[in-house]
Amino acid sequence: MISAGRESTFATRFALGLLTFLATVLLGGFAASALVRYSPGFDIDENAWNPHLSAVTVAARHARLETENGLPRFYLRYLSRAAHGDFGKSEAFNLPVSELLKNRVLVSASLLTGGTLGGLVLGGLLAWLAVWPRRVILEIPAAVASGLLLAVPPAVLALFFFFREWPLWLAVALALLPRVFGTARSLLGTWYASPALLAARARGLGSATLATRYVLAPAAPQLAALVGVAVVLAFGSLIPIEGLCDVPGLGQLALKGALARDLPLLSALGLIITALVAGVQWLGDLAR
Amino acid sequence: MAGGPRPMTRLAVTLLCLVVVLGLAAPWLAPHPYAQQIREFTTTAPQPGFPMGLDDLGRDRLSRLLYATRVSVLLAPAAATISILVALLLSALAATPSRTLRWSLSLGNSIFLSLPWIFLFIILRAKLPLNTDPVVSVTLTFALMGVAGWAVPSRAFTASILGMKDAGWLLQARAAGLKPWRIATSHAWPHLWALALAQFRILIPAYVLSEASLGLLGLGVADPMPSWGNLLQDLQHPDVVQANPWTLAPLGLLVFVMICLEVLAPSRKVAL
Repeated sequence: MISAGRESTFATRFALGLLTFLATVLLGGFAASALVRYSPGFDIDENAWNPHLSAVTVAARHARLETENGLPRFYLRYLSRAAHGDFGKSEAFNLPVSELLKNRVLVSASLLTGGTLGGLVLGGLLAWLAVWPRRVILEIPAAVASGLLLAVPPAVLALFFFFREWPLWLAVALALLPRVFGTARSLLGTWYASPALLAARARGLGSATLATRYVLAPAAPQLAALVGVAVVLAFGSLIPIEGLCDVPGLGQLALKGALARDLPLLSALGLIITALVAGVQWLGDLAR
Repeated sequence: MAGGPRPMTRLAVTLLCLVVVLGLAAPWLAPHPYAQQIREFTTTAPQPGFPMGLDDLGRDRLSRLLYATRVSVLLAPAAATISILVALLLSALAATPSRTLRWSLSLGNSIFLSLPWIFLFIILRAKLPLNTDPVVSVTLTFALMGVAGWAVPSRAFTASILGMKDAGWLLQARAAGLKPWRIATSHAWPHLWALALAQFRILIPAYVLSEASLGLLGLGVADPMPSWGNLLQDLQHPDVVQANPWTLAPLGLLVFVMICLEVLAPSRKVAL
């Protein structure tokens, strides 16, 4: 019965998560298509001033374009093209958006992977030091380091690393560290103070067994969910970091697109990032 | 300990009040208007009349820092208030018996938590004309932060409201014949008020930091209105920073205020 209950709970969560994921992507797609549809100059028909066309033809063309470019139709067409990898053409770069994305996705992925892993390892280690040995001499410096990092904008941290020519993934990791530290410290602290662990300690079990069996194992689902949140947070810091430090990734592309008012590019990036973030959060929710 | 706040908390509150007073008194304390240009001098060291020197456009750095403090320190709480109000209003749906409404709230919440909000700011900035009025840009930046930030506090409020449904005091109040409105205002609200204050204290530093990041990218408050974010743009020129270390003053003040806010904020955990 317990197993059946768990399965149904998992199935419900899976279904709800899938629904949320789809709704988020559809909403993101709608926002993206609306932005493109209502971007300046979208409605202009270059044939409107063609002297070879009669007034009736121009009016007919205008009416047809209006019907075709109504938001619902345009939205469906945009989604269908996006599903096939066609996100239109960037106005600023004069290149297909999909090509721009292909060229830059690996740079961002490598920064994101390094930063997320680094942030999780450093934040987790610091949380462990703050919780496990129960020594104020370790706990206070860990909390102070985390607090100081939290007070500095990630972009400033990245600029410092950039001018020092230090690896930028470390800046992403340090920006992530205090967020991971706060959650991991609280999670580990809860399990560290659990009656089961106290009883096991009274039975004389060793530190390694206590740590793995009574802290890490029960906290694992929530720590797994933390990985999902960390990816999302790291992604948020990519845009300022890549934009300011001249890293040719998706964040820099987004910033350049914004400064050039390139709405097709921004819309495609918005849709892809929404799908990615929603997907990662869904997986994180399932892991919990 | 039960006698009052901790010394660290008292110190943080005092220092923050000092910064807020400095920001509020900017029009009286600032030696010059924030947009006034002294075109003969640009990027100069401190000198009589300009205690922190002049920036690359010949504007007094001290005056701009004081006005920036007013913008960043006062509007971040305003944005946090908007988030809390929107979150409270929407979370009230959790108290309704309708499962569809509750599910819609949960779905809306998840969607809002999944959307990459920095993109919204980028797109908003792309939509605004280049000569946007600074007052419009500052209002839009903080208003959007406030509206976009409802999802995190709403999750806490919804959980609290759902938890109240099984509370013994609610059953007792109902059994005593209290009207729903009376239960909400006299019994439920004090619980939510404490939670709202905690969420408020968490959101303020988040918004101060968000504005700083956006301003550094040139996507926040538009020039000539100063904010900590756009004053940090000087950090993109290391040669200027090395030659004029006082350009680090906005960063120093930002970090100082952030540390004070962290001391006041409840324990920090990301929403899992």
